[in-house]
Amino acid sequence: MATEVLPDDRALRIGRRERALAQMEAHDLDVLVLGRQANVRYVTGAPQLWVAGTRPFGPICMVVRSTGEIHLNSTWDEGMPDDIPHDRLYGLAWNPMTLIEVLKSIDGASTARRVGTDALTPTFAKLLPMAFPNAELVDAEPAMRAARRIKTPDEVAALRGALRVAEKSLATAVAELRVGVTAQELTGILLEAEAAGGVSTPATQDGAWVTSREHPWRRARSDGRIENGDLVAFSAGVLADGYVGEVGRTWPVGDVDASALYDRWNTLWDRLAAACQPGRPAGDLLAAYEAANEPLPPTPVAHGLGLGFDPPVVTPDLRITAAEEILEPGMVLSVTGYVWQEGVGAVFGREAVLVTSDRPEVLTSSPSWSIRAGVGIG
Amino acid sequence: MTAFATAVTSAHDIPDLPDRARMYRESGARLRSAMADNGIDALILLGNGNVVYATGASWPLLDAGLSHVERPVAIVLADDEHPHLFMPFREGAPWESQIPADHLHPPLFLEFDEGVDHFARVLGDLVPASATIAVDELTGAMRRAGDRLFPGGPPSDAAPVVGTAKLVKTVDQISCIRRACRITDEAAVDVQKALAPGVRQIDLSAQFVRRAFELGATASMLEPIWQVMPATKAEGTWTTHGDLALPLLTTERELAKGDVLWTDVSITYTGFCSDFGRTWLVGETPSARQQDQFRQWRHILDAVLKVTKAGATSGDLARAAIAANGGQKPWLPHFYLGHGIGTNAAEMPMIGTDLGEEFDDNFVFPAGMVLVLEPVVWEDGTGGYRSEEIVVITDDGHVSLTNYPYAPYGD
Repeated sequence: MATEVLPDDRALRIGRRERALAQMEAHDLDVLVLGRQANVRYVTGAPQLWVAGTRPFGPICMVVRSTGEIHLNSTWDEGMPDDIPHDRLYGLAWNPMTLIEVLKSIDGASTARRVGTDALTPTFAKLLPMAFPNAELVDAEPAMRAARRIKTPDEVAALRGALRVAEKSLATAVAELRVGVTAQELTGILLEAEAAGGVSTPATQDGAWVTSREHPWRRARSDGRIENGDLVAFSAGVLADGYVGEVGRTWPVGDVDASALYDRWNTLWDRLAAACQPGRPAGDLLAAYEAANEPLPPTPVAHGLGLGFDPPVVTPDLRITAAEEILEPGMVLSVTGYVWQEGVGAVFGREAVLVTSDRPEVLTSSPSWSIRAGVGIG
Repeated sequence: MTAFATAVTSAHDIPDLPDRARMYRESGARLRSAMADNGIDALILLGNGNVVYATGASWPLLDAGLSHVERPVAIVLADDEHPHLFMPFREGAPWESQIPADHLHPPLFLEFDEGVDHFARVLGDLVPASATIAVDELTGAMRRAGDRLFPGGPPSDAAPVVGTAKLVKTVDQISCIRRACRITDEAAVDVQKALAPGVRQIDLSAQFVRRAFELGATASMLEPIWQVMPATKAEGTWTTHGDLALPLLTTERELAKGDVLWTDVSITYTGFCSDFGRTWLVGETPSARQQDQFRQWRHILDAVLKVTKAGATSGDLARAAIAANGGQKPWLPHFYLGHGIGTNAAEMPMIGTDLGEEFDDNFVFPAGMVLVLEPVVWEDGTGGYRSEEIVVITDDGHVSLTNYPYAPYGD
């Protein structure tokens, strides 16, 4: 992070925009109307204010394929790339008709035949045809997903930067782990370290929790106070320069013999990592759990990393989708290993993996507890 | 007809901690009543703030780029006192629920055709084909499956239905907002103490999030803003309207003696938001001209509060503010004089926007509405003054939820 708000580097920006324009052509889209923050960042390269959670669809950005022009809903030009000049910025508005009038006046709106939106509300489904009177409104997410699933080298570099902040923050929180501290305090320490590391925009805010000895997925106790014998999970997720960096680790506290559980995690991880090969279906990551004889967790086992979620999303709820999704070099996956033992707790670990034409490259390198390292913290 | 807990007429009526079971019951009753008024049989809710409202679920919200895939979904039926909640499990995410087990379901993945195929079966089991449905968002996969999901025709927009329910807060919802505000205020005290030349903007954010989480925040809702104001409008960032830019993003910029900061932060407590804004001055005491800015702001706020009560309209408040500011609007053209707050940091009403004067004049305040007032005062060479005040609308006037001094400008 710098001392001023800057647009994404030109090479990063242009590389992404070319991929998006190519997919507009492949999906026969004349115009894109984007509302999702990650899609908007992808095509514009302009940082935006971070707000947690979903937001209702609105026409935040419009891309015209024939001219390559990008129009953006921004009241100011701070952090704006020079290829989005002032006359293509339109200010914040609360009346949807104000926005429709803006879109309507943009060159290419009246002649567009196919307009893709990345989401829609019933209200904008009614209003957008006023701006695009000759167009069919279609789903733009397949085009955006196709563009985003493979990372350019500049994107991988940005992801490495995000992961560095996440890993450093996780280490800061792990260093404060001891009996008596609460999970909430550890989460505060983790988020503080993320912000001090230049990232006040968390991707996740779960932070730290005590894994349960009685239930495979729940937290151990409501007050979250760390006790001797706990297995404490840490999850750091940041959004740095627009890119999500996620890492997870579990550390034992005091007297707990969890070596057999860590061994199980390591065995599972070897299978998960081996599944991150080009040409193989993403569903192999589900099969890795089954092959290791570990029950599948209720969370997605993996998802693409980029400007938020990218394809694939690998969960037993989407088995057909995962089976059809073939891994390719340039995809970056956030892969989760999770094992649990009654009476002991859970070991959770999350790594970022770059699929290459050769062997998968694990981009995360946070230390893990190991038998060689001896006893746990505390 | 559900009997609601006593209305808020003074600060004493707000419980110190929310009764979550009662809040769940009353929110549900309000929502079903709004459904009946709008002739809606089933609501399908995908938006985080709407799901929080409808189900009482509260979780540490994800970044926008993640949250549209891994998101809870609620289905609310007009004739069922409990909503159906389809909850993604995030390892470690704690939440309590009043929802019976047979209404809690595994997550839905509505971004994908396979997920929507499953959703069509779920919906078919829960909602009769003839039902009138409203939905707050349509993913591409939902649009492709529109005929199967909505055999009775295209759904209407759920936003106005949920908006109607959300407008009046129950005492427990107000308690949640006040608790969120107290956490925020207390965290801000420590941040303001740390304010000094050489401190980076980002250090203020770091300190704020840590304190807020230690004090019980569920999530940070907004990238903390510590905007250094320009000396003059002309020297400020270019804007589409020529007025001030706000909010500009936090960086590693070191604060300098004399910097005037406009601050803005928000957190949630059990799903309800706080909103905090004060003007701070780095390493100096305000000049006489700067004090005048604060006094003018206070004068505008007092004039607005004087007309703030149940039965007043957004237009009444806007006119009071303009009159107190010598005929000029004391808010930025891209924002508002004030806005509602609840499970979203900014909800209806928005006062003084491009929705227009007629909209404002027709928006009548009910008792129990919660409003954030944020007038802005500016004179070149002073850094201006902006602060935010949260009030609950009552029959006689209002009850304040903000309790933070105006130092160094005033008490």
